[in-house]
Amino acid sequence: MAAVNGYQGNTPAETTPAATGSKQPAPPSKTVDSQSVLKRLQSELMGLMMGGDPGISAFPEEDNIFCWKGTITGSKDTVFEGTEYRLSLSFSNDYPFKPPKVKFETCCFHPNVDLYGNICLDILQDKWSSAYDVRTILLSIQSLLGEPNISSPLNNQAAQLWSNQEEYRKMVKKLYKPLNA
Amino acid sequence: MEFLGSSECNLGILETLSDDAIQEITESYDGFFTTVESLIAGAGDSSVEQELVSHVYTLCKHGLDSLVRDHFLRSLEQAFEKSGASSFWHHFDAYSEKKHNDYGDEIQEVLCKALEEISIEKQYHEKCLSIVVHAMQSFKEESSEDTQNADAERVQLFARFRSMLSSTLMTTLPQHFPEILHWYFKEKLEELSAIMDEDDIAKQESDCMDLDEKLRSKNGEMDVDEGYSRHEGLVKNIGKVVRDLRSIGFTSMAENAYASAIFLLLKAKVHDLAGDDYRTSVLGSIKEWIQTVPLQFLNALLSYLGDSVNYGTTSSGLTSPLACCPSPSLSKVVTPSEGIVRWKLRLEYFAYETLQDLRIAKLFEIIVDYPESSPAIEDLKQCLEYTGQHSKLVESFISSLKYRLLTAGASTIDILHQYVSTIKALRAIDPAGVFLEAVGEPIRDYLRGRKDTIKCIVTMLTDGSGGNANGSGNPGDSLLEELMRDEESQENVGFDDDFHTDDKQAWINASRWEPDPVEADPLKGSLSQRKVDILGMLVDIIGSKEQLVNEYRVMLAEKLLNKTDYDIDTEIRTVELLKIHFGEASMQRCEIMLNDLIDSKRVNTNIKKASQTGAELAENELSVDILTSTILSTNFWPPIQDEPLELPGPIDKLLSDYANRYHEIKTPRKLLWKKNLGSVKLELQFEDRAMQFTVSPTHAAIIMQFQEKKSWTSIDLAAAIGIPTDALNRRVNFWISKGVLRESRGTDSNGSVYTLVESITDSGKNESEELLAGDEENEGSIASVEDQLRKEMTIYEKFIMGMLTNFGSMALERIHNTLKMFCVADPSYDKSLQQLQSFLSGLVSEEKLEFRDGMYLLKK
Repeated sequence: MAAVNGYQGNTPAETTPAATGSKQPAPPSKTVDSQSVLKRLQSELMGLMMGGDPGISAFPEEDNIFCWKGTITGSKDTVFEGTEYRLSLSFSNDYPFKPPKVKFETCCFHPNVDLYGNICLDILQDKWSSAYDVRTILLSIQSLLGEPNISSPLNNQAAQLWSNQEEYRKMVKKLYKPLNA
Repeated sequence: MEFLGSSECNLGILETLSDDAIQEITESYDGFFTTVESLIAGAGDSSVEQELVSHVYTLCKHGLDSLVRDHFLRSLEQAFEKSGASSFWHHFDAYSEKKHNDYGDEIQEVLCKALEEISIEKQYHEKCLSIVVHAMQSFKEESSEDTQNADAERVQLFARFRSMLSSTLMTTLPQHFPEILHWYFKEKLEELSAIMDEDDIAKQESDCMDLDEKLRSKNGEMDVDEGYSRHEGLVKNIGKVVRDLRSIGFTSMAENAYASAIFLLLKAKVHDLAGDDYRTSVLGSIKEWIQTVPLQFLNALLSYLGDSVNYGTTSSGLTSPLACCPSPSLSKVVTPSEGIVRWKLRLEYFAYETLQDLRIAKLFEIIVDYPESSPAIEDLKQCLEYTGQHSKLVESFISSLKYRLLTAGASTIDILHQYVSTIKALRAIDPAGVFLEAVGEPIRDYLRGRKDTIKCIVTMLTDGSGGNANGSGNPGDSLLEELMRDEESQENVGFDDDFHTDDKQAWINASRWEPDPVEADPLKGSLSQRKVDILGMLVDIIGSKEQLVNEYRVMLAEKLLNKTDYDIDTEIRTVELLKIHFGEASMQRCEIMLNDLIDSKRVNTNIKKASQTGAELAENELSVDILTSTILSTNFWPPIQDEPLELPGPIDKLLSDYANRYHEIKTPRKLLWKKNLGSVKLELQFEDRAMQFTVSPTHAAIIMQFQEKKSWTSIDLAAAIGIPTDALNRRVNFWISKGVLRESRGTDSNGSVYTLVESITDSGKNESEELLAGDEENEGSIASVEDQLRKEMTIYEKFIMGMLTNFGSMALERIHNTLKMFCVADPSYDKSLQQLQSFLSGLVSEEKLEFRDGMYLLKK
């Protein structure tokens, strides 16, 4: 028991399921799963940190590895060049079998992003696969910025304006609020 | 006015009086007035007195005695104010404008004369008063009233007179008078002190006298006597002044004046004695001086004034101030009066305080030359025990530390030395270590910010072993001493535990217990935990003993690799000592390293023995005897700098032969050579000279190439040795500086040509000394701890960048915690907060991060 407690409650202690997950915000249905999710997220974090992909980044919030904050910067040669957006990623205990909930935290004027930051992206819904990870999600969102899906817009105004890239760039600039922690 | 006032009071009496009586009263009242006036003016003779007495009688008869008293005192007051006080102050008018250092000698005479005058005046007034009092008393006696009552009335009357007198003087006191008094006493005391000093010298002279010089001795004694009589006269003089001052009600002012003069003199004496020499204890001589000069003066003064009650009981005589013998041994026989004891305590306290302030102000310098200055520390300790002003020490010392030591200009090793000296010195002053805690804190904080702190500490720890050879050296250098001392004390502790004296020991401990000084910070543990332990305090700077051990390991590795013999006795000793202090487990790797060396020695002899039985050496082959190897267990050594190196054929063959033999003996183990490490002793023979060197293998490989060919281009040479050209150029410089090689511009644009200097006349240089190459080139074979740390930290850098990208700005604590939380994979985060802080400040200076208001953020 002492050893179990020493692991900060994250240990897969089958014999004492009640003891585990006490420090997790969402009580896991199966402790074994929760442990594997934890491991997976940790290795994803390591990969993301060491990978060093430009323009995307994410990090778990303090003391909760199920809630991450992400940052993406607009790609070069798109209307979003020079902008930076903050996202929130929230993972369930079924991850990676269920996609995480991803939202824009800062206002993003985009055809597939609504006013509340919800994102319409296929891989975050029906096209999700457990092969995807935080890195691919962030990369997908980054490329979505430059290549919106006009056919199923969440923000009609943005969708209509998209054809006029000059005006759209001005609009993005007008609505953009720089991040400053 | 007065008449009206008193007649109102006596209105009832007036009604009962007859006309005759009224007539009588008015007449005698008028008479009383005039006689009083003439009496006080001093014009009257005995007839005036007679008249006055009869008037007093008459008035008293009518119950107007209070009127008599009041009026008489009032007249005295007026008279005194008019003549006495103003003429008294008039003496000093000339000095009101002068600064006190302009007062000439005549002021002493003026003061004496003025005091004398006013005393005479006062005495006369008292005489007048006594006449009146006498008259009133004799009247009362006649009317058979209680005489005791009359006595009390008399005393009261005189008290009223005195207070009236002094208040008159006080109200007219010129501002500069206390100054004059002060100055007067100061002059007198200095004179006295000078006489005493002369006496001392004279006495010393007569003490040292030979028997043959009896004549001179007599002269000496005469001098002494003369000194005594001068001393006596002086004290009498001062005593008279003080007495006169007292008599006119200036008791406290006089006391203030001579007290302040004494303190001033004492202060000057302390400063004079203490000075800037910390090598001698001055407290004793200060105390002696207090005994000889001011206390004797006071003793004489008080006894002259009759305050010293007990004093009179001695056989030396009642009144003579000479009775206070100038020699301190005799004066101790005299039972000191309470006043003197009180004065002594006051003076000593003042002396302690003055010396303490003086020493505290110079504490920094004192600690700089600590072991020599220990008498000063001892003095300070005694002073502080007496005054208890430890906090003053802490404050002042910290501020001087900040100003003088903890600056960019001071080298880390100096700061550490000072820190160690501070610990030692303050340990003497305050064994509990409470003030050390406070003083040490800023030093520790500062040292934590220095990068080379650990290295310096480890050097200080280990260099003590070699320090014994070159004399005493700087005692602060050797912390090894501390290690050993610590060992002893720990052994003692063990000894105590073994003994069955638990109860006894506990009782002794309990009875020895002292409460913590009030300044102690209760958060920092109690007395027992705060054992002053220099090593512990140094480790405290670093943060963890692991770091210190790590640094030591690197240093040890460097040392061991540079050894050509297997003599590691001093290292073994150091490691053993460190083991005691830091525990077996943490020193395990160092132990293995030492064991490697011991094993190497054995294996080396084995291999050589085996080779001797083998075949004869071929012409060009080298004997294995010239080779000694150090076999390392790589996993336990710090990372070793690897550099490719092609050794010349024969050497390479020798090495591989050696390795093969090792394999034979120790199958399945194989030997992998670190060819760039170690050292080579070689002798170069030229046409006209021979030179000996001890150099690194790379240097040796370079010079060996010149055996075949006298001249090499840098590119060819680098290729032959298998090292990069820039590394080659760096090393060739050694041989050029020794005059062995010469550099010239090659035909190619991108390379220079090195040529061997066969004959010394070619170079024109005269090189004869033998130098160690290692001295010049200070690149270690072991990756330094900082390098290792930096390598590890680069992994964390990515994490830090990642979290700062997503969270904007974070405080140190939060970064630390987040790393601990999420950086758990392979190189899991195990650094201390201090290490992280220094790493982050490195990133800040690299302009990767910004540090603002205690938060780190990405530099945009």
